[in-house]
Amino acid sequence: MLNLSSFVQKAQQLLDPTQGLNLTDSDKNPSKASLFQSQFRLPDSQHPLYEITAELTIPPSNVTQGGKDQDRGFHYAGKLHLSEAYLCFSTTPSSFLQSASTSTSSAFTGQTHGGGPSGNGFTFPLSSIRRVERLHSQNFQFALAITTWNGISQDAPKENKDRKEVREQRITIQLAGTRVACERFCDGLKKGLRAAVGNVGKLKKVIGECYSEYLLRPEEQKSASPPDAGLGMIFRYPGDPKKLRDRAKMRLWAEYLRDNGRNVTLIRQPTFHKLIRVGLPNRLRGEIWELTSGSVYLRLENPTLYADTLAKHSGKESLAIDEIEKDLNRSLPEYPGFQSEEGIGRLRRVLTAYSWVNTDVGYCQAMNIVVAALLIYMSEAQAFFLLSTLCDRLVPGYYSTTMYGTLLDQKVFESLVERTMPILWEHLVKCDVQLSVVSLPWFLSLYINSMPLVFAFRVLDVFFVEGPKVLFQVGLAILRINGEELLDATDDGAFISVLKNYFARLDESAHPKSENPKLRAVTRFQELMVVAFKEFSGITHSTITELRLKNKDTVLNNIESFAKRTAIRNLGPESKLLSTDELGAVYDRFYGVLYERQQRDLIIKQEEARRAKSNRISRIGQMVDEGNVEKGRVGLGPSTSLMDYDAFREFLAGIAKWAVSDSPTQSRRDTGSSNGGGFYNSFRKNESSMSPWGNGPEPADHEFLRRLFRKWDFDSSSALTLQNVVTGLARIKGKRDIMGTINYFFELHDDDGDGKVDREGILRMSEALLFLSRRGLEGALDRATAPNGMMTEGMVTPGNDVPDQSINERFLGSVSAFIRRCFEYADPDHPNNQNSQQPAQQQTASRQEDNLIAIDDDDAAQGLADPDAFAIGDDDDDFDEENDDDLLAMDSPTASPRPAKRESDTATSSLQPPSSLHLDPSTAPSSISNNDEDHRRRVSRQQSEKANIALDPNNPLHITLPTFRMVVLADELLEQFFESSFPCSFHLVEGINMSSGNSSNAGSSSYGVGGLGSTFSNIGFFGGGAGGNNQQGAGAGRGLRGVLDNIVTDGMRVAAEVRRRMEDAQRELEKNALPGQQRPGGANRGGGDDEDDDEDDGGPVEGLSLGGNGNGSGGAGGSALEDRRGGVRSSDRDLLTGADAEASDPTAEAQLQQGSSGGGEASGNGGGVTSKVVGVEFDG
Amino acid sequence: MADTNAPKPSSSVKLVLLGEAAVGKSSLVLRFVNNDFQENKEPTIGAAFLTQKCNLPTRTIKFEIWDTAGQERFASLAPMYYRNAQAALVVYDLTKPTSLIKAKHWVAELQRQASPGIVIALVGNKLDLTSDSAGSAEVSGDGDDTAEDSGDARKISTEEAKTYAEEEGLLFFETSAKTGHNVTEVFTAIANAIPETSLKSARGPGASHAGVSRTEEQRVNLNGPRDANAKEGCAC
Repeated sequence: MLNLSSFVQKAQQLLDPTQGLNLTDSDKNPSKASLFQSQFRLPDSQHPLYEITAELTIPPSNVTQGGKDQDRGFHYAGKLHLSEAYLCFSTTPSSFLQSASTSTSSAFTGQTHGGGPSGNGFTFPLSSIRRVERLHSQNFQFALAITTWNGISQDAPKENKDRKEVREQRITIQLAGTRVACERFCDGLKKGLRAAVGNVGKLKKVIGECYSEYLLRPEEQKSASPPDAGLGMIFRYPGDPKKLRDRAKMRLWAEYLRDNGRNVTLIRQPTFHKLIRVGLPNRLRGEIWELTSGSVYLRLENPTLYADTLAKHSGKESLAIDEIEKDLNRSLPEYPGFQSEEGIGRLRRVLTAYSWVNTDVGYCQAMNIVVAALLIYMSEAQAFFLLSTLCDRLVPGYYSTTMYGTLLDQKVFESLVERTMPILWEHLVKCDVQLSVVSLPWFLSLYINSMPLVFAFRVLDVFFVEGPKVLFQVGLAILRINGEELLDATDDGAFISVLKNYFARLDESAHPKSENPKLRAVTRFQELMVVAFKEFSGITHSTITELRLKNKDTVLNNIESFAKRTAIRNLGPESKLLSTDELGAVYDRFYGVLYERQQRDLIIKQEEARRAKSNRISRIGQMVDEGNVEKGRVGLGPSTSLMDYDAFREFLAGIAKWAVSDSPTQSRRDTGSSNGGGFYNSFRKNESSMSPWGNGPEPADHEFLRRLFRKWDFDSSSALTLQNVVTGLARIKGKRDIMGTINYFFELHDDDGDGKVDREGILRMSEALLFLSRRGLEGALDRATAPNGMMTEGMVTPGNDVPDQSINERFLGSVSAFIRRCFEYADPDHPNNQNSQQPAQQQTASRQEDNLIAIDDDDAAQGLADPDAFAIGDDDDDFDEENDDDLLAMDSPTASPRPAKRESDTATSSLQPPSSLHLDPSTAPSSISNNDEDHRRRVSRQQSEKANIALDPNNPLHITLPTFRMVVLADELLEQFFESSFPCSFHLVEGINMSSGNSSNAGSSSYGVGGLGSTFSNIGFFGGGAGGNNQQGAGAGRGLRGVLDNIVTDGMRVAAEVRRRMEDAQRELEKNALPGQQRPGGANRGGGDDEDDDEDDGGPVEGLSLGGNGNGSGGAGGSALEDRRGGVRSSDRDLLTGADAEASDPTAEAQLQQGSSGGGEASGNGGGVTSKVVGVEFDG
Repeated sequence: MADTNAPKPSSSVKLVLLGEAAVGKSSLVLRFVNNDFQENKEPTIGAAFLTQKCNLPTRTIKFEIWDTAGQERFASLAPMYYRNAQAALVVYDLTKPTSLIKAKHWVAELQRQASPGIVIALVGNKLDLTSDSAGSAEVSGDGDDTAEDSGDARKISTEEAKTYAEEEGLLFFETSAKTGHNVTEVFTAIANAIPETSLKSARGPGASHAGVSRTEEQRVNLNGPRDANAKEGCAC
């Protein structure tokens, strides 16, 4: 039910274009699955299946040193979660049940000082669990003992032999819940474990690349070469290992890992976070990064992806690769490893492989620096997956083609500065210093090329555990510490140099003049860390999330308007033919259509997926999850910028009336079988929200559209770029040059480009003309009575407005004359063939004329009154017998001759002889009277015999451009059509509004279209129209719907099919009256996201509450650490004390110095430093 | 800030460098500022900031140089660097035709979006790769024809670029950051081309009231969406 409702919600968003286009649902209400994944840093494939409150006990046997908890081990209360392939425990009480509120699910807010994103606990791949036993417990119904494969990669036989030596990792978990809940959880676990058995091999391979495995191996087994822990193993790690106290750190870590499990079986306890805070030892750094960022789980999912990708694309080239090559020699060039082929080769491979797996991002400058940094500490494969995690999770959008993530985070950073350091902010504003010019590189390269490397890596250590908020905290701390000097800087230059200086002196003492040697020993970097994580501990993950959400729209809009401006300016010279407004409108429509189509596809796909799912439980969340892939907006980077044929139709339907389908798909299917029935059904069909065309009108599909598409798609890529569309439009609309338009139209039908259009082409042209005009002509016609260039004549009363209404009929006549003239002036391909073979054809042709042509000579007035009068139907019995031979129907009153043909299957064809149209509508449109009728018919009959020459396949003929031009210019109306109507029919800026357009459409389309080619088929369409013929009075009110189909066949083969439909205004109105049919004026993507579904997930940031509330577990951890110090050398003690100091036990936080630049809220400034002294003295 | 040694008036000028990736923007600046050249210059992330003085007979100009990243996707960041710039160097690579197209785009962007009256110089860099690297100003327009034979990698003739520069009213130079040819000349020419009036509003401690009030005005909207003013593309 839940996925259904979310689906409905999405559908509603689509229906209301003002809503939700900018902020997707997943933004505002992230799915439980995505929250779960980010909490435990799990891959997208994982979903929260079961959760249960539980208590974790790490037994004393796992604790090497004695201590106060020796008897009972360590206990943590929290929640146990089970996904498809992971068992996770966290002391953070977050819940990912569907019923859980967003706030309880997004508890990814652990204070920097506390337990990190997922608190204390573990994230075990099920494949790392060796055994689960149920224990008897008095307090709990269920107690499970979990034994892991800790140390699995060691040689199995040896492990067995020395079983005593190798300590098993065994933890106990007591489940608290109803019996049913516990049993369900255990069942799930059982299932998961069974499925995971197959992955043990994979796991073994993955952890084999972890340095910890080597580290913990007994000395005698260390003969084998250690796993790759980065370029540092070859070229040394940056910094002085002594100064970094690398050995001491390594010992502490070795001990921690021995006690708490290594790599995937590691259990996070407070010491873990503390150890990270003091800086990771070089050789473990890569592994811990991989673990804390969760990229190791990606690697576990597909261990060979990196190698496979490289192999698959070996030797290929791409733009990204070119860009990568340019930068390879200039990535951390100061590090010796990157002056060597080895280092550069690794960098090249990782960047290249990533550009292949994520083609949307490809390569962005700054990635080279980040990856180079990673490669110092980890293997290529590890760096590859970590880069993936960075781009997708940690800093999404930073490296995308629009870099929207970067820009967004700058906005977020600015608002944080404004909020936390109002005085400095005011100063920046006053001096017109733009903060982001300084801070952008910090974020983009994760401080790697802003700070000396050793310090940047310390920031990264914390960043990978605690997420992007760390970047903000550090940034704010930098500004806070330099606040006073920055207040003296009055321009960008001074501002930058203050910070440059600061970064260069990070290793110096923060208090060089202090009397206290301990205080003097505190470096500026330590101070920075303390300020960042202490004073700005109020900056949590949800602070960032919230601010990102708040600013996202503005940022995307800015990017989009920039992109639009740039794109429009960079369009070729032809774009100058269109006005700026028009170009802007085309741009918006182009991307609007693409975006909407993409969103619709997504929803339709989701619905399909939903239908396909029978196993509901495992799928909960996944549906929603897929919605996270937010694409299509220009600001978000590349989605598609290519328009396929269907999108093209939709695009045109937004700007040209003729491109809107007369009746939606369903009736088309019914063609010929149901007279009129399908036609009504078709309207109902759109009530389903899943129209492939969304809420817009369904676009027509006509050969003319296909031709136009092919013409615009001039590089034959089967897709149009914006440039293609603009160029195409510019050539039609831009020139306002009748000759140009005529030429264009001709070329459009000149398939082989030889300057000749053959018989079939001529017919197609005529069809296209009628297709284009079937909703009335627009533009400046020679009628003063056509206001706004639209045909708005009323056809309601007989005899009303004769001159007006006749324009369309006249046009029909013009087209008819056009065909006639074309054939008249056509050049035969072979002059000799000209006179052969007419009789046979004529015979066939005349035989088949059964009421194809409606001739209302009996009732001229009716023709005026009722558009149906022009309908052509096969069921009109009141036709005179003689009409049968009339191949060309003439509706006398309006002088709209209808060239109508039918061809039998004998495939011979007939054409109305030109002379049968003895009244040229264009020259004497309103002079036609009933008196002419008989005469006309007679003549036409006589001459019909000659007609067939033109269509005789044995008499191939063609017209050339000059002929075509002449024929067009010979007719006033056609001339006007090309001069103005056709170009005007593209309403680029204002678009067409089908609902309000009704009135103008109302009478304009009221003519039947005669067969232009040889034959009719599909007469079935015609029921409605023909009926109208008889119900004169009623018909007048209901208007006309004439539908006409032709099939043009040539002698030898079945030729192109022509269909035509006319829709009457009444039906239009009905259609538009249906709910959900309102067509928005355009793709309205503007702001206006005034939904009231604001988050309910609290998480409001109440300024920055400072100090005092440090995480209690920090204190506990601190004492635990002290208790266990026995196992650590005394020289290491200092380091840990340092850890204490940096972690700055909140209880020790005594005196707080007021920050000079901050406002009243800065009560925590300097507190960390002070407390450090206290801490040191405690220990000293 | 002010150069107290010189009796001449001193003022700062904000200058921004724009152009396709790897055309040598940073190298030009490095040559101008440090008279140095590095084969492997780290790519610019966002933008680099440098300053250099330029002594003119009548005054001293202190250039505040914003050297921007050239990769296409950084283009959307550019507005935040060229805002308030009084001068711009639009650089292309003489040996790479696409780079001139990109340069033209930048010129158009600047003319529409940057401060009015901005002095723009079009600079064709990497003259050292062409056969006329000696530096003769006039080169035949048919450089391309002989390109392969003579080892001349030039793909954009001087005339083509010059004609364009004249049409758009840009300063025009062909330079080599590697040899240093014409580099200082570019900056001197820009310094000379900056109108006195715009110097008065130069920023710094001695900024005039006019300048301050102008910037004040622009900053009013800072906290709200900034697209209220001309720099709508700047999202930061």
